Amino acid sequence: MAETLVLLKHRDVPGIENIDIYEQHGGYAGLKKALAMERDAVINEIKTSGLRGRGGAGFPAWIKWSGIPKDTKKPHYVLCNADEGEPGTFKDRELMLKLPHMVIEGMIIAAYATQSAKGYIYIRGEFVESARSIRRAIDQAYKKGYLGKSICGKEGFDFDLYIHMGAGSYECGEESALMSSLMGERGQPRLKFPHAPLPIHEGVWQSPTLINNVETYAAASQILAHGGAWYATMGTENSKGTKIISVSGHVKKPGNYEVELGYPVLDMIELAGGVTGGKLKAVIPGGSSVPIIPAELCKDFKLDYDAHQVVQYSMRTMRLPVVGSGGFMVFNDKTDIVVLMRRTAEFYTHESCGKCTPCREGTRWIFKILSRITTGGGLPGDIDLLVNICDQIDGRSYCGLGDAAAWPIMGAIKHFRHEFEYWIEHKRSPVGEDCLPPAPEPLNPLLTLTPV
Amino acid sequence: MADVPMVNIKINGIALQAPQGEKVIEAARRINVDIPFFCYHPRLTMENGANCRMCLVEVATPRKNPDGSVVMAKMPKPQTACSLPVSEGMEVWTETEQVIADRRGVLEFLLINHPLDCPICDRGGECPLQNNTIHYGPPTSRFIEEKRHFPKAYPLSEYVVFDRERCIHCARCTRFTQDISGDAQLDFLFRGADMEVGTFAHTRFSSRFSGNVIELCPVGALLSRTYRFKARPWDLMTQKSICTQCSNGCNIKIDHRVSQLQRVNARVNEAVNEEWTCDRGKFGMDYVSSPDRITTPLVKRDGEFQPVTWDEINTLIIDRLQEAGAKVGGIGGTRSSNEDLYVWQKFFRQTLRVNNLDHRMGPHFRPTNSGLYARFGYHSMNNAIADLEKMKTILVFGSNLVDEQPIIYLRVRKAWRAKGAGIVEAVPRSMKTGEEANHVGEFASVRLYYRPGTEVALLHGLLNVMLYENLLSAERLGEIKNLSIVQNAVKSWAPEIAAKECGVEADAIRRAARLLATDQMAILAGETVTQHPYSEDILNALGNLAILTGNPGNINVPVTENNQQGAMDMGILPDVLPGYVGLDQPGLNTKQMLQGAVSGEIEALWISGVDLVNRFYDRDLARRALEACSFVVVTEHTLTETAQLADVVLPTQSVAERDGTFTNVERRVQRFFKAFEISPEIHPEWLIFSQLAMRMGGTAPYFSARDILREIAASVPIYQACTPRDLGDQGVRWHYPAANHTADLVGVEYRAPAAVSA
Repeated sequence: MAETLVLLKHRDVPGIENIDIYEQHGGYAGLKKALAMERDAVINEIKTSGLRGRGGAGFPAWIKWSGIPKDTKKPHYVLCNADEGEPGTFKDRELMLKLPHMVIEGMIIAAYATQSAKGYIYIRGEFVESARSIRRAIDQAYKKGYLGKSICGKEGFDFDLYIHMGAGSYECGEESALMSSLMGERGQPRLKFPHAPLPIHEGVWQSPTLINNVETYAAASQILAHGGAWYATMGTENSKGTKIISVSGHVKKPGNYEVELGYPVLDMIELAGGVTGGKLKAVIPGGSSVPIIPAELCKDFKLDYDAHQVVQYSMRTMRLPVVGSGGFMVFNDKTDIVVLMRRTAEFYTHESCGKCTPCREGTRWIFKILSRITTGGGLPGDIDLLVNICDQIDGRSYCGLGDAAAWPIMGAIKHFRHEFEYWIEHKRSPVGEDCLPPAPEPLNPLLTLTPV
Repeated sequence: MADVPMVNIKINGIALQAPQGEKVIEAARRINVDIPFFCYHPRLTMENGANCRMCLVEVATPRKNPDGSVVMAKMPKPQTACSLPVSEGMEVWTETEQVIADRRGVLEFLLINHPLDCPICDRGGECPLQNNTIHYGPPTSRFIEEKRHFPKAYPLSEYVVFDRERCIHCARCTRFTQDISGDAQLDFLFRGADMEVGTFAHTRFSSRFSGNVIELCPVGALLSRTYRFKARPWDLMTQKSICTQCSNGCNIKIDHRVSQLQRVNARVNEAVNEEWTCDRGKFGMDYVSSPDRITTPLVKRDGEFQPVTWDEINTLIIDRLQEAGAKVGGIGGTRSSNEDLYVWQKFFRQTLRVNNLDHRMGPHFRPTNSGLYARFGYHSMNNAIADLEKMKTILVFGSNLVDEQPIIYLRVRKAWRAKGAGIVEAVPRSMKTGEEANHVGEFASVRLYYRPGTEVALLHGLLNVMLYENLLSAERLGEIKNLSIVQNAVKSWAPEIAAKECGVEADAIRRAARLLATDQMAILAGETVTQHPYSEDILNALGNLAILTGNPGNINVPVTENNQQGAMDMGILPDVLPGYVGLDQPGLNTKQMLQGAVSGEIEALWISGVDLVNRFYDRDLARRALEACSFVVVTEHTLTETAQLADVVLPTQSVAERDGTFTNVERRVQRFFKAFEISPEIHPEWLIFSQLAMRMGGTAPYFSARDILREIAASVPIYQACTPRDLGDQGVRWHYPAANHTADLVGVEYRAPAAVSA
């Protein structure tokens, strides 16, 4: 099966990041169509398309769009989550770099549909090039009258777009933490529904806020250009349209591939040129947060929002997602899964914001145990301990970061328990000595403060 | 709260009604279902809370099926009871197997980095982490890695030390500094497991309310430097008391051991201090156990103080007082209890037959203490402290509020932050703070920093805007007599003219006037008003403002000294008896007494609990008077500068050593109780006067402060409700008898500040 190019159709057109070339290739057609429609009709189009949030959770986009209050007692805001931090995911980076106008167009459409006058793109701090591209594109759009006052001559529709750069925190990709960060507060998640109103009612500055992923906005521009019904013909029953999958790891041609949702996992590997350096061992299909799939099970999985894996805790069973944010990582048989998990745990330990107990303490504990195992200090009870710590984190933390730290460990233990046992028993890697991790660095530099 | 709709919920199968918006943890507490917590605190916002995850419970809410039937849908994840608002039909379970496992999990996590140094931790024995671990925690830990290490006992401020190893990151202290005290000095640094509480660039934690975080901390991370390693909680005895550092009368608990004050904690009184203390109160009470306390009566012989017995000293005092006859004066009393003051004035008026009694330290000695009384029928602060929260606008006029009334400052800040009140700050330029934290300016909507002496011009400017922008209710204006007096007075004070005179922006005057023109406006006037040469004018102008905006009962000129209100009520004034019963032949006021002492008209002075030399506005006069007066008795805790000049110094008991009542700034009569005794030779003041009166005039003695309070309640009408039984823990506010106070407008002419110096 081949790619289905909707968003990335023109990515190789030279100069597509410039507004003129973009317009020549059908750019801003979606916006013009949207402006000719009623606001509700725009949202209906999104509803017809079946577009689901592309950030990873897969929440139906139209519910958010239509949930923004119809009155404008308070200002409304449109936020674009471009803090793409999920390990293995790099689709937003390329979209912003090469097709900045598509993202901006989608946001203007969203602003029109939700009567917002201001929008913010929260870009990950490291994405300097992408941010520059967006900056240029915003300037061009202002000149052409796509941003600013009375957009495209539509009286009363004003929209200003601002860039906000993150400062290097994974946690700020979580929507409530992103809003805190945008408002100048500490990048920590806030209370969520049902503890607090939804962002569509009280988001940034206690005002109705629409927040979507970069890819969601880009898709919205194409949906408006070509129609929701057209978009809905792609994909599966519950997962309509296309998804950009960022393929990386042991494949010949890593990169972004746009495929219809429901695309088989094994075909995805073939699309990226097949496995290099050995045989396929496992795939992490949706960014580091989703559980790993071993090679022998890959044939059973398709990339859509219905696919799930089941993990079992002592008192409950969890259904974990597969497609996630689309960070598709392929591993060959030279990969040590325990070391991979140690690296993953290190990431989540480093990125935990520290707000809530299970995530703050649990991620560090998991990392310490995995470090101990992979340096030859594993103990017989460690695997059960890891499962139990994951049980104590998953669903107990403030936001999804805690869950995301527990899921990959649970997946790895489910499918590769024997490798953990091998490490604990033999104090060395089951795949050979060349895979040993570097010695862990001390994480906690002591501050030299004088006691009383 | 009647307008809040009630919802039906079930907790552990127990059906109850809860007001909408109430948190599950609060509803559970009402039916005695225990949900453990660390970060939850009813007075701190939960927006940045719900992070300890200790209060996880399982929740189900009713969900409607498409066919219209309703099923209970269990939420997939456990929810934090501290932040979850109740909703109709909600069911909560707090003791399921899963919840029990979750609590064990959270406690295990909290303990992996928490040092096991409970045996040397000040919190040990009263530690929520210890308690919850014993009740809900795992018996052992599976954590075998190395714990987090930091240097112990990092000094955050001169009062607070911080042990980062013990911190469980509940964010109570950071939320306190953000929500309540407003200085936001504490916040989290770094992230993840490296996160720690700290101040910006390790600057000093200089908040005036820093001590509260010690009590808020659920572990032994934030500790008092004065109490550190002094006692174990189970060795402490606790007594209910009242803070004596200002007139607010904060309710405190005195923790003592071996007749020594160990520490001061706040006691909850919603009407007064909620549960906060200021640092002055929390750390300033150590005078109680000062080694300099006088423990026997002293008499000066040949320039040296020598200890004598009470019997000797009483004989001496009686001799000298009888010699002096009517040439006796009494000064002070703002630190004494109502009982002391009552017996003191009774001793002076009935036994010595003089009315020379005054507690005022100047410079103004108006009859019955305040021009407010004649116009409005009250003396100082008329609003209850808690009622400030209900105001739409609060005018802080000429007051460095955070210094003068720290806890009222917190209440004003709460009115702004929690209730959205508009705050107008009008203070002399010398008090300009801008948006500096811990000052009213931080949150004031309008800040007016006027040229000192131009208060009346500013108030005229405000009234001018109100009258000419038609901000005031026409109906009310129609009912007011003599409106023309004010109209004429302010006519020429257009905001531009007033602004030029006062050195403020005309626009700011306009904005302030628009905020103040509401019938829920309170005025808080401070010391620069009461100490002002033209304070009468300013109070009159403030009175006009209050009448025109419809707030004649909302003028507040808070008294500042500990029991100053009580001293007024108990008649420590030359012209009134207890309860403000007027006297035909008033005695001398403080200034007249001191002048009399210099000129020989006063031969004996009794100075009660006041360092006169340092507190009287004219230091020189005070010194000369004390040196010239032939017999000076001072009752004091320590040998102050004034006591050094006395002939006789009598030791008195501090608030910790006796029973009694104080009347606070809002006229709330509050009891305090004896905690310990440092020497049997230190007598309460009422006993001293009672014994003297018995020996001089044969009046029946008093045996306890309780007896005296009963007599006060029986004989002073305004204290009718203040019997020992009625006062309880939280005290009782007395009210002025409903009199016909017309509260008429008064014409005020502006006198330029140049005239002040002339």
